[in-house]
Amino acid sequence: MIWQQLQSLAGSYPLALRGLGMTVMLSLISLVLGTLIGFGLGILRTGGNRLISGVIGAWVDLIRGTPFLVQIFLIFFILPELGIELDAFTAGIIALTNLAACFICEIVVAGIRSVPTGQVEAALASGLSRWQRMRQVVLPQAMRIVLPPLVGQYVLLIKDSSVVSAIGLTDLTRVGWLVVQRVPNGLLVFFLVGLGYFIVCYPLIMLARRLEQRMCAAHGEVQL
Amino acid sequence: MRSNRSKNGTGMIEFRGVNKWFGPLNVLKDITLSVEPREVVVVCGPSGSGKSTLIRCINGLETIRDGDLVVDGQRLGDPATNMTRLRTEIGFVFQSFNLYPHKTALENVTLAPIHVRKIPRAEAEKAGRELLAKVGLADKVNAYPAQLSGGQQQRVAIARCLGMRPKIMLFDEPTSALDPEMISEVLDVMVAVAEEGMTMMVVTHEMGFARKVAQRVVFMDAGAIVESGTPDEFFSHPKTDRSRAFLSKILRH
Amino acid sequence: MLENFSFRTIVEYLPLFGQGLVTTVWLSVLAFAGALAVGIVLAAMNLQRGRLFRIPAKAYIDAVRATPLLAQLYFLYFGLPRLGIILPELVVGILALSLNSGAYVAEIIRAGILSIPRGQVEAGVASGMTYVQRMRLVILPQAFKVTIPPLLGQAIVLVKDSALLSLIAVAELTRAGQLLASDRFMPAEGFITIAAFYLLLYYGLKGLAALSGRWLGLAGART
Repeated sequence: MIWQQLQSLAGSYPLALRGLGMTVMLSLISLVLGTLIGFGLGILRTGGNRLISGVIGAWVDLIRGTPFLVQIFLIFFILPELGIELDAFTAGIIALTNLAACFICEIVVAGIRSVPTGQVEAALASGLSRWQRMRQVVLPQAMRIVLPPLVGQYVLLIKDSSVVSAIGLTDLTRVGWLVVQRVPNGLLVFFLVGLGYFIVCYPLIMLARRLEQRMCAAHGEVQL
Repeated sequence: MRSNRSKNGTGMIEFRGVNKWFGPLNVLKDITLSVEPREVVVVCGPSGSGKSTLIRCINGLETIRDGDLVVDGQRLGDPATNMTRLRTEIGFVFQSFNLYPHKTALENVTLAPIHVRKIPRAEAEKAGRELLAKVGLADKVNAYPAQLSGGQQQRVAIARCLGMRPKIMLFDEPTSALDPEMISEVLDVMVAVAEEGMTMMVVTHEMGFARKVAQRVVFMDAGAIVESGTPDEFFSHPKTDRSRAFLSKILRH
Repeated sequence: MLENFSFRTIVEYLPLFGQGLVTTVWLSVLAFAGALAVGIVLAAMNLQRGRLFRIPAKAYIDAVRATPLLAQLYFLYFGLPRLGIILPELVVGILALSLNSGAYVAEIIRAGILSIPRGQVEAGVASGMTYVQRMRLVILPQAFKVTIPPLLGQAIVLVKDSALLSLIAVAELTRAGQLLASDRFMPAEGFITIAAFYLLLYYGLKGLAALSGRWLGLAGART
């Protein structure tokens, strides 16, 4: 019986490939966009304009305070009511990009704040403009703090992309859900689905750990 | 004695009735002080007397509440004054060096000339190498700050300021974060800079340095200038009880 | 357009939202208790010298962290019946949340214990304490303090994650929003209302985390 099931599973491998492709596409596009927007928001938020940083802070809090599933539903079902037509894929990209941007914004803010004030003063004293200070002095030093959680955030993003299956996008998780209707072996099907995610995410988790250890070592902290 | 006073009587740095508060704390009280071009002024006083705040005001790292502060003919806080431009005329040496840890010694020196002064990279690097050689670090051009001793880092920091060809150099306790054996290598560089005719304000307790190059010593306590005079006058015949008490403390060790 | 946003319908459905909110709260509390139990066991295994316990614990934690909660939820939901275990959706959901959050809780506890400086252990050894005494009297009381804020952070994550249970038809808060959206075709009313309820829970837990940080005298405690 297991043999039969495996055969029938093998038959759905084109579907599985499509699902994996969808998961990778969703993650990759929103990862790039989310990183760019997240850095922009983080820099703006530490920029000293109270209104701007207050608005960004409030938005980030709204996104951090609500389930991602609810955010997807809000975007997918409510934007059309406001006259913005969008398909499930676009809705998924918007939701994931927004989520990633908000979390990355917080990571970038923490990184920028970790740079000692003396560094900014030295840059100020030699007449560097605001953008030059950010680009030449602050960001390169902030990156050491930013990088490990940033990679960790990418793992979360890939995992969160599974939630867009709820609006009918055929990603890896949705494929599992479809296949299990025909091949009633949930353990096997979702083990394979999990394996798909694991292969993508685990190397990133290892990378984040390595970066973190290197950062601790660079700071001369002793790890037990 | 170098005392070429400018003709119209305004100095390179002019404090007129400057006051500053941190919350309820009056950290600068009615400061009036004029520093002439090419003059070297040493500022000393007990910790918390406001001496660091005083020189941090000059390049706008601190803002003043009232009074006038005119630097190189430009009034600070005046909308017509371009602070970024003015800062390029003022070198500032920090107690904790504040070298950029992700840049080599040479990159530390050339960063502002390339990006602010828009000097071509090759030219800036040539000048940077010469400056590092001048402070005795020709062999450390490609070293990162973490690979340098405190004294070496502070010399790079001075070279970094000189790279902008400033009209004024400010030093905020440049030797107090250093191990004793490294102090003189930094002071020697500072003496050389002073002897080339730089206008300098130096917050320091190094009395040997003051005697050697300073035209004036300013003694501060509790945010006010208490006494001011030539190094000889100040060290040999302090006029106030507070300066006598201060001198007896720093000379004891 | 949203000009016919109907507050009346929201009020009409308020009892349903209320029930959903209550369900979300108590299932989260249960799931978090389960996560603590799973986390403590995993952390204890992970801190052993012997590989026998450490390797399975590490493997479990990595497997959970590298796969989405939704896939884990479906794994249990579609997989358990296969093993002859038939459970109500609600129980499957709580189980999935506990097993998932437990892995993260384990890492928080481990980091808390490892954050205690070596000198503390040595002081305990020097004064002749046994391993258990050192743990109980020196390490755990200090580790407890540093783990509270991140644990509350994990609780926030868990509450938000519990929304996924709506996808296996558990009648919690998000499900209530979906019902309003599909019964009356009013997605705006449904999802904006539940978003507001989740924010309420979020700010409540966030406030608690800030308070706990202050009570425990931790500087810079953040979630």
